Amino acid sequence: MWEKFVAESTRATREIVTDAAQFLPHLLEMLIIVVLGWLIAYVLRAILRSILRLTKFDRFSEHTGASRLLNQAALPSSSELLSRLVFWVAWLGFILLGVGVLGIVGLQQHISNFFGFLPRLFTALFVFFFGFLAASFFSRAALLAAVNADLPSPRLISSTIRTLLIILTISMAFEELELAEHTVLVAFALIFGSLMLGLALAFGLGGQDLARRYLERRFGRARKEEREDELSPL
Amino acid sequence: MAEESILTDDFLRELMNVGEVDILVGMPTYNDAATVGQVVQAVRAGLIKYFPRQRAVIINADGGSKDATPELVRAASISDLRQPSGLTALRTLHSISTQYPHGGENGQALRLLLAAADLLRAGACVVVSADSVNIEAEWLDRLLRPITNGSADLVTPLYHRHRFDGLLVRNLLYPMIRAMYGKRVREPYPSEFAFSGRLGSYLLGQDIWSEDGGNSGAEICITISALAGNFQVAESFLGSRGRIEHGPADLVHAMRQTVGVSFWLLDPTFPAWSATTGSQPVPSSGGGPQVTLEPLRINRKRLHQMFQVGVAELEPVLKSILAPPTLAELQKEAAAPQETFRYPDDLWVRTVYEFAASYHKSVISRDHIIQALAPLYRGRAYTFLVENIDATGEQTENKVEDLCLTFERLKPYLLEMWDGRK
Amino acid sequence: MKLLRSKPRHPPFVGFADFYFLGSLNLVMPQTAPWYQDAIIYQVHARTFYDSNGDGVGDFRGLAQKLDYLQDLGITAIWLMPFFPSPLRDDGYDIADYRSVHRNYGTLEDFKSFLDAAHQRGIRVIIEMVLNHTSDQHPWFQESRSSRDNPKRDWYVWSETDTRYRGVRIIFLDTELSNWAWDPVSKEYYWHRFFSHQPDLNYDNPAVREEMWNVMKFWLDMGVDGFRLDAVPYLVEREGTSCENLPETHAVLKELRAKLDQQFPGKMLLAEANQWPADLRPYFGNGDEFHMAFHFPLMPRMFMGLKLEDRKPITEILQQTPAIPDGCQWCLFLRNHDELTLEMVTDMERDYMYDEYARDKNMRLNLGIRRRLAPLLDNDRRRIELMNGMLMSLPGTPIIYYGDEIGMGDNVNLGDRNGVRTPMQWDGGWNGGFSAADPESLYSPLMLNPVYGFQAVNVHSQKRFEHSLLSWMKRIIKVRKSAPVFGSGSIEFLYPANHRVLAYIRQLGNETVLIVNNLSSAAQAVELDLKRYKGNILIEMFGRNIFPRIGDLPYLLTLGSYQFYWFRLRRI
Repeated sequence: MWEKFVAESTRATREIVTDAAQFLPHLLEMLIIVVLGWLIAYVLRAILRSILRLTKFDRFSEHTGASRLLNQAALPSSSELLSRLVFWVAWLGFILLGVGVLGIVGLQQHISNFFGFLPRLFTALFVFFFGFLAASFFSRAALLAAVNADLPSPRLISSTIRTLLIILTISMAFEELELAEHTVLVAFALIFGSLMLGLALAFGLGGQDLARRYLERRFGRARKEEREDELSPL
Repeated sequence: MAEESILTDDFLRELMNVGEVDILVGMPTYNDAATVGQVVQAVRAGLIKYFPRQRAVIINADGGSKDATPELVRAASISDLRQPSGLTALRTLHSISTQYPHGGENGQALRLLLAAADLLRAGACVVVSADSVNIEAEWLDRLLRPITNGSADLVTPLYHRHRFDGLLVRNLLYPMIRAMYGKRVREPYPSEFAFSGRLGSYLLGQDIWSEDGGNSGAEICITISALAGNFQVAESFLGSRGRIEHGPADLVHAMRQTVGVSFWLLDPTFPAWSATTGSQPVPSSGGGPQVTLEPLRINRKRLHQMFQVGVAELEPVLKSILAPPTLAELQKEAAAPQETFRYPDDLWVRTVYEFAASYHKSVISRDHIIQALAPLYRGRAYTFLVENIDATGEQTENKVEDLCLTFERLKPYLLEMWDGRK
Repeated sequence: MKLLRSKPRHPPFVGFADFYFLGSLNLVMPQTAPWYQDAIIYQVHARTFYDSNGDGVGDFRGLAQKLDYLQDLGITAIWLMPFFPSPLRDDGYDIADYRSVHRNYGTLEDFKSFLDAAHQRGIRVIIEMVLNHTSDQHPWFQESRSSRDNPKRDWYVWSETDTRYRGVRIIFLDTELSNWAWDPVSKEYYWHRFFSHQPDLNYDNPAVREEMWNVMKFWLDMGVDGFRLDAVPYLVEREGTSCENLPETHAVLKELRAKLDQQFPGKMLLAEANQWPADLRPYFGNGDEFHMAFHFPLMPRMFMGLKLEDRKPITEILQQTPAIPDGCQWCLFLRNHDELTLEMVTDMERDYMYDEYARDKNMRLNLGIRRRLAPLLDNDRRRIELMNGMLMSLPGTPIIYYGDEIGMGDNVNLGDRNGVRTPMQWDGGWNGGFSAADPESLYSPLMLNPVYGFQAVNVHSQKRFEHSLLSWMKRIIKVRKSAPVFGSGSIEFLYPANHRVLAYIRQLGNETVLIVNNLSSAAQAVELDLKRYKGNILIEMFGRNIFPRIGDLPYLLTLGSYQFYWFRLRRI
């Protein structure tokens, strides 16, 4: 009994030791790959940084307006952002490569899935990012235009536009990720439809008076203005 | 954009025929058939009367008029035409016309005129507005004389204006440009002005003909570039400024053309304006600016209302442009009832400077910054109207002078914000 | 149908009608033009040309000796300045005897032999005739003033008061206070439009008219070919008028012309009247008054156009020039014995001319500039050639002032207009070859400066070289004489967009000549609208080189500084 136990234990231990002995080089390999990957990624980032600096990428992005958007999103400069992104993607790739070396069954599959998913993730992030920026830009543009054109409820107009754009962005991003695309689409359609209906009802019923007053004010004033002297700002 | 792309072959041929000139009269037009004939006649009479010996050319740059404006210019150009006044020209006077693509916007027209002046080696150029209803032959003399006698490189006009005409010029453009560049140029956005060939060539070589400055507001670009480039600027009194209004004035558009362009130019001219303190008058001839006092019917209530709505509704936008104390003060003022509401000089100047600094840092879209200033300007315009409703011309002038001094006094505040973070 | 010499018109309106009109004219065109239309006139004073007897003053014998030179130059007529006996208080325009020669210049016999010698060489002679007034030394006036009842009393205009003809302008404002002068002998006033020593003849008196015709007849019988009639607008006076250009004056002139045509066909009358072309037009009448008249306003405008580098002054004045009757002709000149007159220009133009051509006040005289051609043009050969080119190609008979063919200078230090009347410079020797007299006894000092002096500018040295101004003048005269179109053709201006180029077409019968002048000191390109002459080739008239055929496109020419072209259009 005891002997059997000892024999089993010895065998198990030997197996573990053997396994460990088999596994340890893999681990070492992985660590080396990860460290090497960090080095390579670091060098890549440095190279990219100097290339971008040499090609005056920041000025280019300033001209295209991207810098302004990044600035507003409290992100670092575009060249810095790009270098960091490359660094992380490269290093992450090496880490995953290292993990793959471990030879853990199942993990391999996930890793290849991850690499396959990566481009779409980037695209979705991209859509997200610019979608949010566009939403804030256009909602502000609408707000300013409405204020300067003396339209009623500029904030309402502005936030409506912002909401719609954000929803649109989310649905686009989800579609890109191929996640619950139908749900999102339906949700978008529902919200958009109800919003329009709500607006129609608001203007049609609740806002009847408001709408009338507004129209009166617009055209009534226009007629009155003609009798006033034009004040040229220049 | 290369120069050859803005001068067509036909135009170039006409320029060849004109040859070297002493005086170039530029006339940008866009649907000005009602007034252009009269303007050309006045220009011709002015040239014959005051510059009979100089070689001159009238160049019309037309933005694609639909009302036969260029034909009218050419018809008035018959070189052997006998003047009704009995004046005959010593020389052939060419009047040529060419098209430029951007309908209605002066920038490309001015650039084209500068290119023509450079090619023709014009010693002096004058730009006249084709929609003027009261241009006189004397204007040519008054604008060109300081150039031809070598005492100035840029001559801007002084007009006889109604005291409530040109509120944006008086409340923002004149005081700010004066504070920035140290020269008291009353009309930094002139419709009629003259410049030397030397300045013309300099302007043509400047990087101001891009989308921002080149299409609209080129006049203010020219004034500021001349000031920043240390050219001699002079002023000449012309008379009253009569214009045909083509449509209702769009405040935001006007602000883009003027305030936007002057904010935009603060960047490239930083070395020039950051070193300037105080201001000097520029030499002027023919009397100072005068104001008329006829009462005007103006909807002051609406100005105030639009200001109030603007401050309230634009709070999120203003937050990213204005410093918190300024915004708080502004909101406090905006909360006041119409009767007691005033937009004080000090607050207005700080507002403008903070907008300029935000524009420089592009805290949000630069166009949005300019748009956000429009409602605030309405509040300032309201204040100006109310404060001067019973004032004499002199008192109004004093008020403008006070504002200018405030702009000059607070200039270090702008410099502080320019580099540092708010 | 009258031949239109100068057709005022504007470029856009040059149309088919004009062309048709010109075409129809060709059918009635006389085959050969009168001699004065094709003439090239040389203006000279006997005093200034050549001194044959060594007394320091030029004379007719000298002039006759130099006829070979003039024949070689190619001129076809000589216009002689007044040579009659005279107290010479107005350059001989104050005549004391109409039927003789001033002793300084020789005898009547000398004149006759000069005239014959000229005719032998095919050179015609035009002399001066002063109709309006005589010298107060003339025997007629001496008689007339001797008493109020003298038979010659009413040969002049006498008056008891000086208030008649009030408001008539005084011409010599610098020297005269009134048109009336008091005669202490007969105690009356006499009328004079010019100097007080030049009493006006009374043309209301038939005896005066008859006598003046007899005077002219005297010279015509001798063989002179024409008269330059001086001061013609002032012959007759009428109360309440300006006493200028009166119908009665025209009647007197028409009477003279009728007698001339009747008794001496082929002789010519040339009017001297410094007037605007439109005011001059009546002196041509209906072809029954003067044959020729000076075109005074054109000359200053040619100088002005050159300085402005702009054709406008020239085209403008020629547009304003009225058409003249068939057989009549304008006389064109660049310079003459008087100052470059600026009476026929506006104040603005006069100021410009003074500033550009006579900055030195010493160069100005009366309303004009007392300078010769070469100094006016800064002795610039290209400009001298261009101006002569225009003189020879614009419609009219050209007059060359003596010495200008070699580019003589002027001496503004001599008083009055004497600076442009210095002796002709023949060679680099004694007195420039003009006279054997002592230099001190010459009628006028010679030009001596290193630029224009006789040693630098003279006939002898210029004859030696093909490229000299004199040789060039000979060539251009020859070319001009080769084409009658220059004398009597019509003119039509082209108005190329380049205003520094003056271009025109002269046409006579089927002969067409295109003239293109560059008034600018810089090279120019010009596009000429010659569509109507499509298919013609151009032949440059000096070198007879062929230029490209005229096509549908505007004809492109490039011209160097002050360059000009004369092209004959030929359809081959």
